[in-house]
Amino acid sequence: MVGDPPQAVQMVVPSLLREKPIVLHVDDDLASLMMAEGTLEDAGFDVVQAANGQEAIESFKEHDPDIIIMDAVMPVMDGFDAISGIRQLNGGEHVPILMITGLDDLDSITRAYDEGATDFLTKPVNFFILPHRVQYMLRSKLTADELRSSQAKLDNAQRIARLGNWEWCLSSNDFFWSREFGRVLCLEESTNIEAWSDFLHHLDEPDRSNVQLIAEQSVEEKQAFNVEFSIVSWVDGSIRRLRLEAEPYCQENGQCSHMLGTVQDITERIDAQKQIHNLAYYDLVTGLPNRAQLSEQLRYTLKLSKRNDSKFSVLFLDLDHFKQVNDTLGHDAGDELLQQVANRLTSVVRETDMIIGGNGADTDLESQHTVARLGGDEFVVLLSVINRAEDAARVAERIAQAIGMPYELGNNTVNVTTTIGISVYPADGDDFESMMKSADIAMYHAKESGRNGYQFYSRNIHEQALARFSLEADLRVAIETDQLTVAYQPKIDMKTGELSGVEALTRWRHPEKGTMDPSVFIPLAEETGLIIPLGRWVLRQACEQMQRWVKAGWPPMVMAVNCSAVQFTKSNVIEDINEAIRFSGLDPKYLEIELTESLLLQDGEKGIQILKDMKELGIQVAIDDFGTGFSSLSYLKRLPVDKLKIDKSFVDDLATDSGDAAIVTAIITLSHNLNLTVVAEGVETQEQYDILRSYKCNEAQGYLISRPLEIDDFETWMNSYHSQNLDKVSGM
Amino acid sequence: MAFGVRGPDDVTVSIDENALKFIKALQRPGKPDLLERIIDLFTTESPKTLSSMIEGIDSMDMEVVRVAAHTLKSSSAYVGALDLSERCKELERAAHDQNFPACIALGDSVEDIFADSCNALDQLMSKAA
Repeated sequence: MVGDPPQAVQMVVPSLLREKPIVLHVDDDLASLMMAEGTLEDAGFDVVQAANGQEAIESFKEHDPDIIIMDAVMPVMDGFDAISGIRQLNGGEHVPILMITGLDDLDSITRAYDEGATDFLTKPVNFFILPHRVQYMLRSKLTADELRSSQAKLDNAQRIARLGNWEWCLSSNDFFWSREFGRVLCLEESTNIEAWSDFLHHLDEPDRSNVQLIAEQSVEEKQAFNVEFSIVSWVDGSIRRLRLEAEPYCQENGQCSHMLGTVQDITERIDAQKQIHNLAYYDLVTGLPNRAQLSEQLRYTLKLSKRNDSKFSVLFLDLDHFKQVNDTLGHDAGDELLQQVANRLTSVVRETDMIIGGNGADTDLESQHTVARLGGDEFVVLLSVINRAEDAARVAERIAQAIGMPYELGNNTVNVTTTIGISVYPADGDDFESMMKSADIAMYHAKESGRNGYQFYSRNIHEQALARFSLEADLRVAIETDQLTVAYQPKIDMKTGELSGVEALTRWRHPEKGTMDPSVFIPLAEETGLIIPLGRWVLRQACEQMQRWVKAGWPPMVMAVNCSAVQFTKSNVIEDINEAIRFSGLDPKYLEIELTESLLLQDGEKGIQILKDMKELGIQVAIDDFGTGFSSLSYLKRLPVDKLKIDKSFVDDLATDSGDAAIVTAIITLSHNLNLTVVAEGVETQEQYDILRSYKCNEAQGYLISRPLEIDDFETWMNSYHSQNLDKVSGM
Repeated sequence: MAFGVRGPDDVTVSIDENALKFIKALQRPGKPDLLERIIDLFTTESPKTLSSMIEGIDSMDMEVVRVAAHTLKSSSAYVGALDLSERCKELERAAHDQNFPACIALGDSVEDIFADSCNALDQLMSKAA
């Protein structure tokens, strides 16, 4: 118990360290005293005499006798009052007192015991027997002393160990406990615990139920048990951690009769363990995890990454001018610098999930990013889950930037820089040592190349990361600076040969690299989330363009715009469409959204709801790349869509592969049964066109008709198409 | 029992010689004669107790009478003066019961028997010596 006043240790020592035990003989009858004296001395006692109760008390104080023979009736003070007086003296509580009473005086005998006499003897006293009686009483006294001594030792031992003991009698439910038990449980003096349930009552939930359950199990299984629980000390409000251990005891019939147990305050031990753990696993200067802790964390990350088939990264860094700071400003300033660096690293890592987007990653893993100090000026950042190597590069860049800011150390402003080596799992290692070594080597490469910055261990990863990284940066710029344009690919109605619609496709003319392939930058835009502003921009452009054509009196057709999975699931695509329509003033019937089949399969009910919302807006919905996913027919029936676009892969071999031809026929038949329009994509030859037309496919799109064209070219194409009226296709 | 009818001449007291043998048995070698000391003590101390008793009766202080009777009861018993001890016991009881008339009668009787007992002891001791 905290705040327990220091307590004098009371030891009870058997008193017969003296050579001869002392008998105090009290009697007003001198003859009695004389006769007893000899026999007592012969029996090995020292005899002290007193003539009345008053003298007896004085003599007791002076001689500290081992035993007292006391006459009952005496002048001045009788034996009863003397006993009562002696019992109140220090050391007088336990001294054996033999009372001498009249043979027929029952009242005296009763009164003698009431006052605290140990035994009695009647008159006339047989002085030969007397020494034997005295010897016997003395032996009892020694036994009692030893018992008290051992009880006191036990109490002291329990107090020192903060360990109390208890006993629970299962049949009567009685509960017995030692004084220290009460102290350990922080019970108030007046607390009365008489039953096991009284004890449980002193615990809070869920500890109470837990202890009860475990104890009951222990009785049932006849097994010893231990359990820990917490209590709040009423002395100072601190929380104490207690450990209870117990064993059930069984009778011969196998029935458990009682349970013996201890309870110990282990708060200090646990605190000490925590402190030891902290010393072993944390750096004293910065409070960051040390190498040992990092090692455990990394091994754990490895296990998870293997299981989840995910990537993680180790960033190894040191400070470029640390030694100078230490040498010129002293170690205290050096430590202060390390602490500030630690703080900056920690806050960068805290923002990591924001920096790298945290795209669909497991949130449990994200929180496991670790900053550790290895010693000296070496730090390690463990990014426990990343999607791409660039994520690590981005964090490294952010770290370099944060650490490069000036430091205030006392009155000095100090600048340091850092160099960072990066290893990525699984490419650069598959255990703690190899991941650390790769990152370390990468750091030295970075230093050799003389750049203030970061370096991946693997040249490949480094270059790829840099390339993608710069491409991503370029794409951001492209979106902001109108490097992007929209190209339009026409679709024609196979029955009439008339232009029926266009598909809007994004084009990127990179100022240095020329025209970029959408198959390169669209996935990148999807990974980085850039697809959301990009998609919004294309939608806006397409609607505005369509509205211009409608106003210019072009024949009616439908503008198709692609919607990627990221837009569909991570942004409010309905709101984006609504905005584009409102902003452009386009009649929604001229707008069509193309979604891939796999996207719809992924999103289930939520996807269907979005489709319904689209229909609500009055726009058309087409399923792109149909046939590559695995839509069930019943599912397809439930989708509120208008069109299916047969994937190019089926169209490619249409003339040569009877299997593909069968699939295409089936898709067309199915679509017509469901009142869906069918569009064939990637039509490149006249032969393909003819076959599709014979299958009653509704619309065609592909190089045979036209490649995607930018706005001026498209308008030129449209004009010429109308004037030619495409005899070669429609004339059949 | 009718008290006060017996004169000193009628009374014969005997001493229990076993009691004296008992005291002799307690004698340790090389030590002063225990029996002699106890008899001396009895003959010198008991008259004081006896006069305390008589004063108690005269002043009707029953507590003083009771304590004196009690003391004399046990000291006389040790020296074998059993008649005296028995009479003291009766007196102690009467004093305890606040029976004053009985105390007066028994007090006289105790005085007589005490004198006889002392004589008897003297005779025994001189015989022994």
